Amino acid sequence: MSQKATVLFDAPGPRARRRNAIIGVLGIALLAGGLAWVVYRFDQTGQFDSQKWDPFQYTAIQQMILDGLKATLKAFALAVVFSLVLGALLAAARLSDHRPVRWAATAFVTFFRAMPLLILIFFLYLAPAKLSYWPGFLDFINDDPMWPLVIGLSLYNGTVQAENMRAGILALPKGQSEAAYALGLRKYQVMTFILVPQGIRSMLPTIISQMVVTLKDTSLGFLITYEELLFIAKRLGSYQDYGLPLIPAAIVVGTIYIISCMILSGVAVWLERFLSRGRKGRVQKIDVVSGETLGAGAGISV
Amino acid sequence: MTEALDKTPPPDKTPSPRTAAPLVVLSKVNKHFGALHVLQDIDLTIHEGEVVVVIGPSGSGKSTLCRAINRLEPIDSGAITIDGNALPQEGRALARLRSEVGMVFQSFNLFAHKTVLQNVMLGPQKVRREARDVVEKRARALLDRVGVGNQADKYPSQLSGGQQQRVAIARALAMQPKVILFDEPTSALDPEMVNEVLETMRSLAAEGMTMVVVTHEMGFARSAANRVIFMADGRIVEENTPDEFFGNPRSDRARDFLSKILHH
Repeated sequence: MSQKATVLFDAPGPRARRRNAIIGVLGIALLAGGLAWVVYRFDQTGQFDSQKWDPFQYTAIQQMILDGLKATLKAFALAVVFSLVLGALLAAARLSDHRPVRWAATAFVTFFRAMPLLILIFFLYLAPAKLSYWPGFLDFINDDPMWPLVIGLSLYNGTVQAENMRAGILALPKGQSEAAYALGLRKYQVMTFILVPQGIRSMLPTIISQMVVTLKDTSLGFLITYEELLFIAKRLGSYQDYGLPLIPAAIVVGTIYIISCMILSGVAVWLERFLSRGRKGRVQKIDVVSGETLGAGAGISV
Repeated sequence: MTEALDKTPPPDKTPSPRTAAPLVVLSKVNKHFGALHVLQDIDLTIHEGEVVVVIGPSGSGKSTLCRAINRLEPIDSGAITIDGNALPQEGRALARLRSEVGMVFQSFNLFAHKTVLQNVMLGPQKVRREARDVVEKRARALLDRVGVGNQADKYPSQLSGGQQQRVAIARALAMQPKVILFDEPTSALDPEMVNEVLETMRSLAAEGMTMVVVTHEMGFARSAANRVIFMADGRIVEENTPDEFFGNPRSDRARDFLSKILHH
């Protein structure tokens, strides 16, 4: 990596290398020290007591966590599907030739992208009950806290994904659409056959990074009593019988979150490699890796 | 057109078919890019079977002229007719007209996510809605004809520039166009690949394809063109047969241009 990073800065000389090594060692030492202190304090306050950790061996507790994971994944899957569909529609609308369509889509995207997700979810959870009129067929939204969560996630992530897809399409060389128009294809055909497939491929790392964000944001569901992983962790942590094992529950559930996100990132790398196989001829490993890190960075900045 | 493609081309250049019907007619065409008047009162008639080469210094408007013919660049005023019909402004009619006018770009512009064969088949299948097997047979024949038949299942990025441009020519031919526009087809190529593309174009010309070629290849203009159009500063300064134009340029502008490119 260090040899490849010359695009961003000069290759380090001997003095810089020595300094970097010192900074590296010091940094690692600091981190290790911090970690050791945390572990020491946890040990002192009895966080590693068997009373707090034994419950995780009970099948009932494991079932609880599993149910929480299921609920998390269910909300995640629904939110991803809805946000991708919404994203594709909004991206197409924002690239429309018709000004009203473009404006409406832009207003929609601007509003929901700027709206804090938590406010959106709270609103969807609390507002229906307060409204003087609420259509009966929408009752499912206040019957199950999953729906305010899924709808909120879909609206917010849909607008972000729309911008990702639009950026991907706009970044394509102009010649691609020109060649397609020159063949006599109509606008929708140019979009469907030429631009969208390529745009999505090039933005795939970013799109999947946003999915990772979506997965993590399902944890906001615990605030509106949706019984997902974090909610379960909180419940476990409040059990007097097990000595309020909040820290152990957080460690276990946190690990599950991290593993889920890593699996998703792994899928992203695999998918990128799979899709670029034809396009680039031979797969270039560096392209895939740098594409992934680029995407992850973009995902975080959103 | 297909029968014509199968014949081996006669090596010598065809006589100027000025007597044939006019296919592309531009009259009083004007276009501005902001303050820049890129096309100034362009009048140009291209007859069926004619090969017209457009040359001129960069920025003279020759590419814009080429791209205006299938409305990749809309014009400000004037009229363009193709085969007697006015160039439509938009929609289905414009798409249909474009399907009858082939275009080959400087940067090839092959669809990067499709194989060579799919690139050639896309137009006939999606625009003309022709049957798959018919299209595939024709596409493979065309790829063989331009000499890249054995690359059909590769992706564009796996091909050399010259091969890609020949695929682009096959893609244009697959639509069986009335005329093909070449917008500097060899300018993005490595020198050793220029000839293979020019050879393909030469054989097309010899078969009677109507062609408008914007190029810097004076050799091609000499050997394959029926007529040379010299453009400078958005105007057609001179038009003549290649022999006359290169042997005896009438305008100072053309003499100056030729002296700069021919002696070095």
